[in-house]
Amino acid sequence: MTPGRLDSAQRLDDALARLPGSIEPARDLWPAIEAQLEPRDVRAGRRWLWPAAAAAVLLVAGSSLITANLLRREDSAVARQLPASGRLTYAAAAFGPGQTLDPTYDAARQELARSLAARIERLPPDARQQLERNLAELRRASAEINAALELRPGDALLEELLLNTYQDELAVLASVDQLTGGNGAGTTTDPTRMQL
Amino acid sequence: MTIRFYATPATKPTAWLPALALLVMVPAADAGTPINERAAADPTGKVEVSNTAGSVVVTTWPRNEVEVTGSLGTGAEGLEFSSVDKLTRVKVNLPERSSRVEGTSLIIKLPAGSSLAVNTVSADVSAKGVRGQQRLQSVSGDIHTEAAAEDVECKTVSGHVTVAGTGQRGLLTVTTVSGDATVTSVAGEVNGNTVSGNFTITMGDTSRSRLRSTSGDLGLKGHVAQDARLDFESISGDVRLDLQGPVGAEFEMSSFNGQIRNCFGPKATRTSEYAPGSELRFREGQGTARVRIKTLNGDISVCNK
Repeated sequence: MTPGRLDSAQRLDDALARLPGSIEPARDLWPAIEAQLEPRDVRAGRRWLWPAAAAAVLLVAGSSLITANLLRREDSAVARQLPASGRLTYAAAAFGPGQTLDPTYDAARQELARSLAARIERLPPDARQQLERNLAELRRASAEINAALELRPGDALLEELLLNTYQDELAVLASVDQLTGGNGAGTTTDPTRMQL
Repeated sequence: MTIRFYATPATKPTAWLPALALLVMVPAADAGTPINERAAADPTGKVEVSNTAGSVVVTTWPRNEVEVTGSLGTGAEGLEFSSVDKLTRVKVNLPERSSRVEGTSLIIKLPAGSSLAVNTVSADVSAKGVRGQQRLQSVSGDIHTEAAAEDVECKTVSGHVTVAGTGQRGLLTVTTVSGDATVTSVAGEVNGNTVSGNFTITMGDTSRSRLRSTSGDLGLKGHVAQDARLDFESISGDVRLDLQGPVGAEFEMSSFNGQIRNCFGPKATRTSEYAPGSELRFREGQGTARVRIKTLNGDISVCNK
């Protein structure tokens, strides 16, 4: 190597040595990057959840609504005695931070609850209290899991538990529908008949 | 075809009554009116029972007949009993409007191969010896039955469920809201779902079990079959497995806030340095069984001691 090339190489080495080992960005860019990446990833991973949840609730709600329509005549007399809102009201179903279940899911859920309100009112008092207490338990559980998802967004365990809890809630409502309206024993036009 | 119908004199005739030429009207039902009905039935037919309050006790006998005895409660409108082709129907009718109706006790004998469907509100249900399919439902009544090779489904809101197996493999599905469920000596597949009830499988040899609860405890005491698939999930209920005999299985346990206790040796590890959560995966023995347990707050315990 010639002396000129040696000088040039030495200057380059010196310049490289003066460069910092790492460069901190002028501001913390990660939150903004994460905000763009995470929802896309999470949504992609959860894409199957919406159709599955919607299909489940629509199946249950569809069955219930058919039953409700068939029983509308006899239910109407009792329904008039109930508050307009019924006992079962639900907040929008969340799915972790910044996520909500599809509006059609919520609409079907509300409709199912409304259609069952009259029949739940006619359950034996003990069973009705147990049912309302347990539906509240399910709602508390889903709220708690949602809170945990705030800590651990995208956590697979929490997401599975939350989805199953929503399905459990629907399963309970569907069971009540079946127990109180889907058979002869539970169908009645007179609420006092259930006071046994 | 046999149709019997008890009715009070005050009952208004309805449009369908004249159409039933074989209808037999029996005098009014007074307090505690005895029930005594019997009809020929297909040995593998279906028996449907509906009784709002009181009790339903079902046993089997070696005859191709269905017999209904018991006592009709005060205030009940009547008992509908019919047997057409393969379907026998037993239904306690209540008046359209009445403030108080006493419970009716039904004692039913049927061929062992019959399938059985029972619906009640507060009446307890007990079935013994039925070998066909069973679908037993009650809002607040307790359900006791035996499971054989055919499918059994029990569903309640607050009633407790007890199912005794016969060692034959079948599908058992139990759903309660707050009622407890106890399943003993059942082989085959068990699916259980409860909100706050406790669910226990004792001395089972189940190949497939899936138990879920929100706040109720879940438990299994017994042998894990070589190819078993056991799946337990709870939000705040504890999950406890007391395993007997040699265990050959792959375990996968995870909990967000609960503790994991394992008597087989390996310890749970945290899933994150900064957030709650622990998990434990290990294999015990040579078996190919798989055990999967997940909770949010509930503790997990797996032992063979």
